[in-house]
Amino acid sequence: MKILVIEDEVALCETIVAYLEEEGYRCEQAGTVELGSEKVNLYEYDCMLVDIGLPDGSGLSLIRELKKCHPETGIIIISARNSMDDKISGLDLGADDYLTKPFHLPELNSRIKSLLRRRKFEGKQELVIDKITILPENRQVLINGEPLQLTRKEFDLLMFFVSNRGRVLTKESIAEHLWGDFADSSDSFDFVYSHIKNLRRKLIERSGTDYFQNVYGTGYTFIA
Amino acid sequence: MKLQTKINIRFLAITFLIFSVAGVLFYFALGRVVDQNIREMLKSRKAYITLNLQQNTPISESIESPDHTIFIKRTEKTEQYIVFSDTMAYDQEEKELIPFRKMTFSVHSGGQHYEVILLQSLLESEDLQMIIFSFMAALFGIVLLALFFLNRWLSNKAWNPFFKSLSVLGSWKIGENQAVNFDRTGISEFDQLNSMLENMMQKIQTDFVNLKEFTENASHEIQTPLAIIKSKLEMVLQDKTLNDQHYQRIRAAFESAIRLSKLNEALLLLSKIENQQFVEVAEVNMCQLIQSRLEYLEELFELKQIEVSVQLDQKVVFILNPLLAEILVNNLLSNALRHNIEKGKIIISSENQEITISNTGAGAPMDVSRLFRRFSKQTKASESNGLGLAIAHEICKNYNLQLSYLYISRMHCMTISKKSQISTNLHVNFD
Repeated sequence: MKILVIEDEVALCETIVAYLEEEGYRCEQAGTVELGSEKVNLYEYDCMLVDIGLPDGSGLSLIRELKKCHPETGIIIISARNSMDDKISGLDLGADDYLTKPFHLPELNSRIKSLLRRRKFEGKQELVIDKITILPENRQVLINGEPLQLTRKEFDLLMFFVSNRGRVLTKESIAEHLWGDFADSSDSFDFVYSHIKNLRRKLIERSGTDYFQNVYGTGYTFIA
Repeated sequence: MKLQTKINIRFLAITFLIFSVAGVLFYFALGRVVDQNIREMLKSRKAYITLNLQQNTPISESIESPDHTIFIKRTEKTEQYIVFSDTMAYDQEEKELIPFRKMTFSVHSGGQHYEVILLQSLLESEDLQMIIFSFMAALFGIVLLALFFLNRWLSNKAWNPFFKSLSVLGSWKIGENQAVNFDRTGISEFDQLNSMLENMMQKIQTDFVNLKEFTENASHEIQTPLAIIKSKLEMVLQDKTLNDQHYQRIRAAFESAIRLSKLNEALLLLSKIENQQFVEVAEVNMCQLIQSRLEYLEELFELKQIEVSVQLDQKVVFILNPLLAEILVNNLLSNALRHNIEKGKIIISSENQEITISNTGAGAPMDVSRLFRRFSKQTKASESNGLGLAIAHEICKNYNLQLSYLYISRMHCMTISKKSQISTNLHVNFD
């Protein structure tokens, strides 16, 4: 899977690329509209991450260009501007998702995965992790072939962990994934805890394996 | 009071004063002239009578003219005198007492002394005086009226460009990129005013745009390093070789970075609202919005065992920016959740175009004067940045809504109402 990251802030760009490469993606970087445009026209990517505010113009023009030559490429806007206008015009142009800086890397990773699933496999892909089988389109989980009943939030949580397998997911990023704006309430951390407890219990009951690992005071890791 | 009315009233008052003084003076002057005339008339008659008496000695002791205006009688008094006086006498024709001017004088003729009394009716001259005066008064009245209308018409015409400019100013909204142009009026003062206004508005517009750019750039510039800090820390947290102490330290840094970025977002939002950068407005069904947000929060309520009672049967529609409406509801709901107690209660009700969100919470009522100020934390909830209510208040202020706080029956009640409407029905139902 090839991903083009267009972001002018080198440090941020490198972190994103490092994180995504650990996930097994091949990444290319561009810091300007000019360079981005060159790459967009020359090569084919599965996904493009694009910042709106670039030194030599707006990332929106790149979306337009990409839509013309490779309409099948998924697009995620990453922007510091929490402005409705950019969001709306970006999505209107054909972007698939919008992330506001600063974001959590697992969140970005999870969005890319979900986007690629939708784009490449039309959501029909089966995710098999050890004894767990996930059918993202139907929001169904099978363990050893038997369906497992999960609540909406528990399913989201499982998807988030599965997308970021082996990663330390902080309580903050989990809470933000589940509740967005409401995540700043410390109560939500308690809820993250109780959700994970439930999910963990259900998975252990059915599969006999504990996939979750506590990371001291920080969060959790999904190991499989 | 309108400037025109004020000028007109003053103008009329002064004109009226001048006219009144002139009228009084005119009246007295007229009186003097008439009086002078009568004296002259009496004097000439006196000369005539004196001449007659000196030529013809009268036969009888006293003579009276047929029109009762001349009385001549012999007298013993020898001194010469002329006395004028006013008197009233009965007039046969008019059948009433009418004023007369009386002239009494002595005549020496043929060794005899006569006293002559001449009477001159003042009726006609007084009538004349009245006629002239009323005519003048009527004329003054007409002139005054004419001046009033003329003045009004003239000032209306003269101030017309001013009112045009005023309406242009009134419809001008900062942030909406509309060209401002005033018509040429041909009046130098107004043209000057208009050109000054044009320059000023241009300046305000560019300043506004600059400010907007600045806040956006500032946001970009601050958010980017924050994003880097956060992501780098997140990367470090992935390191499996770290020990617990390292985790703890990095976590602390990570948490602070998150708080800082949330704070920056909130401040930015606040300044954007204050700068009225959210131009788009729509009718927002608040009940529907609250319902959808509540679904989102359901689990958080359950966790704290908070009993939520929703009475949103009456539809409430506010006109505001949809994004801000969402933020407003989010802030109020998360406040009601955050500052609530275990097994507490939240009551959300709509009534008379008002939305009230009440929650149980820590004992004492909050200080209203400080409640909506930035960074004024009245509780110890450390994750609160003290901006939530300031933002909610600012949003309401911008869309002609009122956010008010009351402490009723041990519950903190936040009410959003339309500003024009005075909230009379502010009670909350408790079951």
